[in-house]
Amino acid sequence: MHIILNNTSMVPIYEQLTDQVKKEIISGELAENEALPSVRALSAELRISALTVKKAYDRLEEEGFVVTVHGKGTYVAAADRQLAAEARRKSVEDDFAAAVQKAKAVGFTGDDILQIVKIILEDY
Amino acid sequence: MLRVDNLVKNYGDFRLDISMEIPDGAVTGIVGKNGAGKTTAIKAVLGLIRPDGGHVTINGKEAVNLTGRDRELIGTALADSGFSSYLRVEDVICILRKMYPTFDEAFFRKNCDAQALPYGKKIRELSTGMRAKLRVLAALSHKADLLVMDEPTAGLDVQARNDILDLIRQYLLINEKCSVLLTSHISSDLEGLCDDVYLIHDGRILLHEDTDTLLGSYAVLKVSDETYEKLDKRFLLSSRKEQYGYVCFTNEKQYYAENYPGIVIENGSIDDLILMLTGGK
Repeated sequence: MHIILNNTSMVPIYEQLTDQVKKEIISGELAENEALPSVRALSAELRISALTVKKAYDRLEEEGFVVTVHGKGTYVAAADRQLAAEARRKSVEDDFAAAVQKAKAVGFTGDDILQIVKIILEDY
Repeated sequence: MLRVDNLVKNYGDFRLDISMEIPDGAVTGIVGKNGAGKTTAIKAVLGLIRPDGGHVTINGKEAVNLTGRDRELIGTALADSGFSSYLRVEDVICILRKMYPTFDEAFFRKNCDAQALPYGKKIRELSTGMRAKLRVLAALSHKADLLVMDEPTAGLDVQARNDILDLIRQYLLINEKCSVLLTSHISSDLEGLCDDVYLIHDGRILLHEDTDTLLGSYAVLKVSDETYEKLDKRFLLSSRKEQYGYVCFTNEKQYYAENYPGIVIENGSIDDLILMLTGGK
């Protein structure tokens, strides 16, 4: 696992950790049933608190990316590509929802928003 | 593992009155300015001073009633104590062997080698960093399930501090159930090691928070006078007037980031916590 944390980022450490492990699982770099480092081991390696690692692992488990076998460790969950794709879709949707909410708050109409999206899409 | 219930200790006009709990396997930090009561708290936890009120229990047993056997399971490194400076590292090994039936000499020697501690030198001839390492190593070498450390990294350079923190981390790797209570002035030390932090000021606990939440949700806002007037002050823990306007401390970083785009927001650190909540400059 290759984790790079940015201590000055506005993104909370556990979220950075969750995202990067997720990416490795989705890309297949972390294989199915592969064991993740123990909470303590990863916290020692990254020099962050064990609770932060625990929080990230809990989040990953909630989202179905890993399973924790009590007393044994945390493993990459059976590769469910569909689930992974679903998770990515969900995260993009959330970002859009947030943007729409912001736009509505300053009084943009649905057409205004679509217009903005169209302009942005032209750049890609 | 460790419970402190309404512990009271009076020293003249200073009064310590704290409660805290450290679960099994947790690493807890105490921060605060000099004279806030950190060392007094540590001493009370170890049963080195008799409290005027309240209880300290370690694994369900009152701290002042701990037997020698119980104490063997506590590893301590205190700021102003240690071995006689006329002893050599080799002598310290002999003492530890006699004192702790569980003393792990192989572990101790392995780490002495790794940290390049010279066995034959008297402690007085060792550098400050080496003495600190020796203190911490002694605490780690008898399979304790509770570590209590008062300023284990005080006065050390960044490399020596890292070495000491890594020693503690490595120990926790092998002893998963071990709990740690430590104090420090250096916030980065605590941020990278502790699961939660207590802020002590004038003998009382001002704040108890998970390190993670502290680093994730707390922030310093820097705003001009005009912006400050308009700012929603519900989630500000404290504000201070500065030359350019106001510097404010919040535990709801996200709220201000979303509702006041453009204001300067810096991630909160334990240093900011101490400065902004204990009213110091």
